Amino acid sequence: MIPDEAHGVIGLQPSACTSCMICVRECPTWCIELESHTEEVSEPGARRPKTINVLDAFRIDFGLCMYCGICVDLCPFDALAWSPGFDHAASSAGGLVHGINELVNWWPATNPSPAD
Amino acid sequence: MIRVDAAEWRSTIAGFHGSGCTLFGFLTGVDRGDSVEIIGRVAHPESIEAHLISTTIPAGGTLPSLNDLYLGASWHERETGEMFGITFAGLTDARPLLRRAQQGSPPLLKSSVLVARVVREWPGAAEASDDGRRGGNPSRRRQRPAGVPEGFMQDEADGRSAIGGT
Repeated sequence: MIPDEAHGVIGLQPSACTSCMICVRECPTWCIELESHTEEVSEPGARRPKTINVLDAFRIDFGLCMYCGICVDLCPFDALAWSPGFDHAASSAGGLVHGINELVNWWPATNPSPAD
Repeated sequence: MIRVDAAEWRSTIAGFHGSGCTLFGFLTGVDRGDSVEIIGRVAHPESIEAHLISTTIPAGGTLPSLNDLYLGASWHERETGEMFGITFAGLTDARPLLRRAQQGSPPLLKSSVLVARVVREWPGAAEASDDGRRGGNPSRRRQRPAGVPEGFMQDEADGRSAIGGT
C-alpha cells in the first residue's frame, strides 16, 4: 500500500507553469530542462501588449534526479508536485527522460489543479 | 560526539576498542575550509554502546591509521584519504580505492569543481526571451551555475561564458 503523499515521482501541471526557470536553476543535479518562448498578448484597455512566457518543452531526467524535491518546494505556482507513482523504470537511460506528456500523467489526481 | 585533538585520535579510539567497542561503523571527512574534520564511529557488538569521535587536521594533513585495530577501517581510510587529500600513516594498503590515480584536486574538497559542471551546458542558462536560440542570447549576461567559481570558465576572460554554450 503506497500512501497518496508518497514521494514516488514528480508530476507537472503545464498550465500552472510560467517558465520562470526557478526549478531548472535550483536543481542540484541539473536534471530539468525547460524550453519556452515569449508572446505578446493584447488585453482590452491595456496601453501596451504584455509579454508572456509560453512553455514549449519540459523534461525531467529521472536518471539524474535524486528525488530531493527542491523543485517541488520552490515552484512559486505549484506546477510541480510529488506523486505516489513509482513504476517508471525503463530499459534504457533515455527512457528515464520524461517530457510534458509523461509528467502530466504523473500529476497526482488527488491534487486539485491550481489552474482550473 | 567526542571531539579530540589529532594527537589523541588513535589513543581515544584504541581505548574504546580495548573496552569492547570492536565493531567499526564508519569513517568519513568534512571539508571545513582550511581544515578537514575526520569523524569515526565505533560500537559494541552486543550492546547499544557506540561512540562518535571527531578530530580536525589541516588540509593535506596526516592522521594515524586505525587499520591494525579494525581491519574494516582500511577501506574507509583509503576512500577518505583520496577524497579529501589527507594521509593515514601506517595504512598498509593505501592504493586509491575509487579513483584510478591520485591526480587532480581531491573530489570531495569544496575547492574541487566538478568537470561535469563545466563541460555540460547548464540548463538554467536558457531564458524565455532567447526564443529557442540554443545556448541563449549572447548579448545578455549569463547566470552562473551554483558551485562554479567566478573566473573558472576560460571564455569568461573575453566576456563570453562557456556555461551558456557556443
